[in-house]
Amino acid sequence: MDFKFAEKEEKLRDEVRKFAISEMRGKQVVSGMEEESRDEDWEFSMQMSKKLAQKGWLTMAWPREYGGRDASFFEQHVYINEASYWGIPGSTMGVSGIGWVGPSLMIFGNEEQRKKYIPPIAAGDPDGVWCTAYSEPNAGSDFANIQTRAIKNGDEYILNGQKIWTSCAHRARWCWLAVRTDPAVTKKQHGISLIILDMKSPGITINPIVNYAGIHIFNELFFDNVRVPVANLVGTENRGWYHLMQSLAFERHSIAPQFYGMAQRSLEFIVDYCKVTQYNGKQLAADPLVRHKLAERAIELDMLKMFGYEITWKMSKGVIPIYEAARNKAYCDYVMQRLATTGTDVIGAYAQVDIRSKWSKIKGNITRLYMMFPGLSVAAGTDEVQKNIVGQFKLGLPRSY
Amino acid sequence: MDFDFNEQQNMLKTMARDFLSKECTKARVHELDKDEKGYDPDMLAKMAELGWTGLIFPEQYGGTGADLLDLVVLMEEMGRNILPGPFFSTVALCAIPIIKYATPTQKAKYLPPIANGQAIWSLALTERSGRFEPSEIHCSANYDGKNYLINGEKWFSQYAHVADYLLVVCRTGEAKRNGDDLTVFIVKAKSRGIKMELIPTIAGDGQCRLRFTNVKVSKRDILGKVGKGWKVVDYLMQRAIVLKCAEVSGACQAVMDMTQAYAKDRVQFDKPIGAFMAIQHKLVDMLTDVEGLQYLVYYAAWLLSTGAKADMPVSVAKARANEVYQRVCIDGIKIHGAIGFTMDHDIGCYFRRVKAAEFMLGDTDLHLEKVALGIGL
Ligand SMILES: Cc1cc2nc3c(=O)[nH]c(=O)nc-3n(C[C@H](O)[C@H](O)[C@H](O)COP(=O)(O)OP(=O)(O)OC[C@H]3O[C@@H](n4cnc5c(N)ncnc54)[C@H](O)[C@@H]3O)c2cc1C
Repeated sequence: MDFKFAEKEEKLRDEVRKFAISEMRGKQVVSGMEEESRDEDWEFSMQMSKKLAQKGWLTMAWPREYGGRDASFFEQHVYINEASYWGIPGSTMGVSGIGWVGPSLMIFGNEEQRKKYIPPIAAGDPDGVWCTAYSEPNAGSDFANIQTRAIKNGDEYILNGQKIWTSCAHRARWCWLAVRTDPAVTKKQHGISLIILDMKSPGITINPIVNYAGIHIFNELFFDNVRVPVANLVGTENRGWYHLMQSLAFERHSIAPQFYGMAQRSLEFIVDYCKVTQYNGKQLAADPLVRHKLAERAIELDMLKMFGYEITWKMSKGVIPIYEAARNKAYCDYVMQRLATTGTDVIGAYAQVDIRSKWSKIKGNITRLYMMFPGLSVAAGTDEVQKNIVGQFKLGLPRSY
Repeated sequence: MDFDFNEQQNMLKTMARDFLSKECTKARVHELDKDEKGYDPDMLAKMAELGWTGLIFPEQYGGTGADLLDLVVLMEEMGRNILPGPFFSTVALCAIPIIKYATPTQKAKYLPPIANGQAIWSLALTERSGRFEPSEIHCSANYDGKNYLINGEKWFSQYAHVADYLLVVCRTGEAKRNGDDLTVFIVKAKSRGIKMELIPTIAGDGQCRLRFTNVKVSKRDILGKVGKGWKVVDYLMQRAIVLKCAEVSGACQAVMDMTQAYAKDRVQFDKPIGAFMAIQHKLVDMLTDVEGLQYLVYYAAWLLSTGAKADMPVSVAKARANEVYQRVCIDGIKIHGAIGFTMDHDIGCYFRRVKAAEFMLGDTDLHLEKVALGIGL
């Protein structure tokens, strides 16, 4: 047994820390979702993506030929954890490109696609910003239910239909799109294909959807006879579902180190707040109630940290994590909810103050976490869906639905 | 034993539901959340016509002499529909202590305009800490031989920016923990020396920060007795807490109803999601929470309306309301999936108000402490 990171990894952590402190100058504190940012913040994000790429960090675990540097899973873990601790904007570039489009293209894309699409991602270019359109009004958790049609016509597909909840579509150059290419199937998982869509194509309408906190993260997409070259098909036609299962595994494995970084920082902020805040002539930090609540949150975070280490270690051994990623996602949601509710309890009446107000505490970070966590828990698969996966794949229980 | 409302209360409930679902649509709520004033003067006028603002006032002051339970019925419906505006601050926080503690002259002067819907009131109690304990009050009122001069700050005063009058709780003697030496003053909101700023909140519910510099108040404008202000605050808090809890309880019922309906309607994996046990059990837990809260609120309100001591039941209801409102909203949103996370969906309107309700009139810890006292600890 050994729970230490190697010297190389510790050095990297140090470098990322220094970078964050010198580059960010208090710009953003705890990372939420980059795509929630306003225009001017997004511009800053993109500048940071470029710098992270120049440092060789942005896609460090990718092979050199694709603009990475063959970094180990452990190095990547440390980087992701640290970047999210500092809330470095631009470190995910709207998530999709770095998270799964690049890695998926390496596995089931063709050479031409790899050459065209991977370098801009690794370089942190605006042309490397992707969105992902799986969900539809009737295909959320049951995402094999998608109806958006792509009909082959010569060397083009003609797209018609609707996607929803597409994060970052208003920023993205490309869309990683799941469509139905064969409706006459007995099993709905069949007949789905993955397509690369140029977001500048005529016939696409993007409508913003504002969340209940007034923030624009996701969108509704409508396709009206959008033409896509057949060359943009990724992998095998009608086998998209199976490709996607692999893509989703990429999406979830870094959740624990990422959320851990963000949660750890939030907890530290709350602790600091308790030290400088007096109530009834006493420091909040001296109140046993507050102390115990925060201690419990710290224990939950420690467990999350271990789950993050474990999944990274397993991947370094060549294991493809399935239930672990689902467990971590569900557990993250739980941890975030507890942290956000405790944090707002501690801040008291000021927790209701608008995050941009001069009176908000901790720069609005805890209030923001509170408003966002229900959405984060639904994004990338709900609690129930994750637990269904664990029940089936780890516990070997019969399918519950 | 009788869990039913009486006939009059049932009529009030039906009338309130009809009126609010027509006048106070969610689209209107959205508009008002963003509106500086934060309320609709026409709607308030209509509510006054219906006799709501003066519901619990004695008839001689333009009211209908109803009791706290009747007002609970109304507040539940207001919570269900989310009525934005100064009804609560005017009636629950200010009129209630006026009815109890004001002199006949003060009552004659101040109550009829409230009943008519012409006067808006705001309670200026909490300060920088936002907490509801006497030790947290520093704002002072010193007697100069002729007048009192108020100096200090008040935070989170609801709808003070549109108020005609404020009830300002001040220190009129040496600081003491048990709340002696506090006095409640009736102050014209537009008095010289008061500065007001709106605090932007997630609920957009018109909370203000007030600063007082040598604000002159006459002896005649004291509510209750000098140095006995905390008695007034305690009295109003108990009743206002029950009313706030009724509002929260109504909101929880609405969230429950919409979530239950959605679970029957939304199909995934070829089944209504309510068929999945994980969802069904969550809904059942929500129901237990919602029904339980409702009864705790009725019980506390009933006790108060009989004139009995209700310290502990009031705190039980508030501690519970804080927890249940948050839990029901979070689970409700999660059962809705992504659509629950949007501005267009009603459920977010309720979630945005959770924290405001929680910290209004005492957070969970404060009330748990009172329950601990109540069980003899
Ligand atoms: C902030 C955010 C960003 C998003 N970004 C994207 C994006 O970029 N691209 C994209 O394609 N999608 C995106 N989504 C959509 C997301 O993937 C879906 O919201 C999610 O898959 C759930 O689908 P749904 O919202 O339709 O909920 P539903 O599937 O309708 O679920 C409703 C409820 O039913 C429960 N449920 C469903 N099936 C079962 C079952 N079998 N057993 C038990 N319970 C069940 C769910 O857990 C949930 O509580 C995003 C969502 C959010 C909130």
